[in-house]
Amino acid sequence: MSKQTYLKPTINKVEFAMASKYGSPLKTQKIRSEIDGVKVSDLVEQYGSPLFVFSQTKIEELYHNLYNAFSSRYPDVQFGWSYKTNYLNEICKVFHNLGSIAEVVSEFEYQKARALGIEGKDIIFNGPYKPYKDLKIAVQEGAKIHVDNLFELNDLEKIADELGTKIKVAIRVNMDTGIYPQWSRFGFNFENEEAYEAVKRMYDGGKLELNGIHSHIGTFMLDANAYKMATIKIMQLKERVENDFGSIIDYIDLGGGFASKSHLKGVYQSPDVTIPTADDYAEAITNAIYEMNKSDKLPKLYLETGRALIDEAGYLLTSVHGYKRFPDGKKGYILNAGVNLLYTSTWYNFNIELDKRYDGENEPSMLNGPLCMNIDIIEENIMLPALDRGTILTLSPVGAYNYTQAMQFIRYRPAAVLIDKEGKSRVIKEIDDLDTVNYKEV
Amino acid sequence: MRPIDQLVLDENNVAFNPVVGNSYQVNDIAKEILIAIRHHKSKEDIINELTEKYDVSKEELFIDVSDFISKVKIYGLL
Repeated sequence: MSKQTYLKPTINKVEFAMASKYGSPLKTQKIRSEIDGVKVSDLVEQYGSPLFVFSQTKIEELYHNLYNAFSSRYPDVQFGWSYKTNYLNEICKVFHNLGSIAEVVSEFEYQKARALGIEGKDIIFNGPYKPYKDLKIAVQEGAKIHVDNLFELNDLEKIADELGTKIKVAIRVNMDTGIYPQWSRFGFNFENEEAYEAVKRMYDGGKLELNGIHSHIGTFMLDANAYKMATIKIMQLKERVENDFGSIIDYIDLGGGFASKSHLKGVYQSPDVTIPTADDYAEAITNAIYEMNKSDKLPKLYLETGRALIDEAGYLLTSVHGYKRFPDGKKGYILNAGVNLLYTSTWYNFNIELDKRYDGENEPSMLNGPLCMNIDIIEENIMLPALDRGTILTLSPVGAYNYTQAMQFIRYRPAAVLIDKEGKSRVIKEIDDLDTVNYKEV
Repeated sequence: MRPIDQLVLDENNVAFNPVVGNSYQVNDIAKEILIAIRHHKSKEDIINELTEKYDVSKEELFIDVSDFISKVKIYGLL
């Protein structure tokens, strides 16, 4: 006699308050069986689990959407790919092929960009810490140096002496744009005249020439109007220094910070409601330039968008290793990916999808990672059906920052795969092994 | 009498406790286990019976039945 199909036994107390006109949390399941036409089960079988997966199609869609929002409103726009958001070489190449230059904040990223064939003139060198030796190389190679502080300004003057040339630089400016918290760590403050004084100091020295103004007002900016404020202030400073010092400011750079459709913890509404659109950001910035421009020539507009161009193109596939019942009744799943790979889990609630529909009703569950650490929690409260060992969960959006900030802690860092526009997957980063971890140890 | 003995199990897979008014949604296998517990069968016996009937390993059943009984206890039914 053939045996009957087995379903895990489930018992759930009926909470009448849980049902509403929007549906029942006991029945709802989010399913993702494939990414760009490639089955998640095939990806895990071929490349292992956990696995970062990136969609080239989605990257290009996000890029074109944002770029078109700006280029349809403004004649001279240039994107710089924010390396820190995701500096996997193949990801950087996708952005460079789309037309992005590089935006880096460290010598390591600078070297990465150069190794990818990006010329110095096509690299924006930001960041509060630029070691002298690396700053000099960047100057010699014609990189766009964005001066962060007076020590760096002094270093640049010394480099100008050593090289016997005047150096063109841009200045980083921070300001009140009406948002909280105000980012005042990067560059010179606008309101208290620090930025103007720094420019004056630059011209008094006679070794540097200002040709750009930059700001990076924050991250995950939910108010497009903040960019309008930033643009107005940058344009005011531009006009003032052009008048006072006879300089020609070729470009302004509004930095990054555009939000992706990630779900911020503590925010009730869906990201579809709370996140400004590409058009919102573009309109805020370009209208302000047109309104404020007093010069014959419009400045070139640089943007260093990272998160909004990659976050939704990245997925993390993770598998159920087992489960246990906690004393409070919650079911705790052990996954093979945890906070070691999901740095942004501190701030965002991920979209968590199952590889197929599972029978049975949902019950309150918790998703824990593989680390022997109590803090290794991916999702503290989630309604899930009884999942089998080996069930693949897809977490998204995780394209921004998670790979670059993934910790080498206890477990090997996983492989990363790119699915190209033809729907073909390929490894762009192999899984770490003991040699990777031990490399350079003596 | 244990609370589990007071449960009314209906054909719609709802277990109702008329004493306190709580209802529980169960599936077929859960219902079988509840009935077996009411008949004072041991966990081992329950697992052996289910292994005979269903296409599942004894090892997996041990985990699932143990978990199920834990949850029944957390609900105060046992």
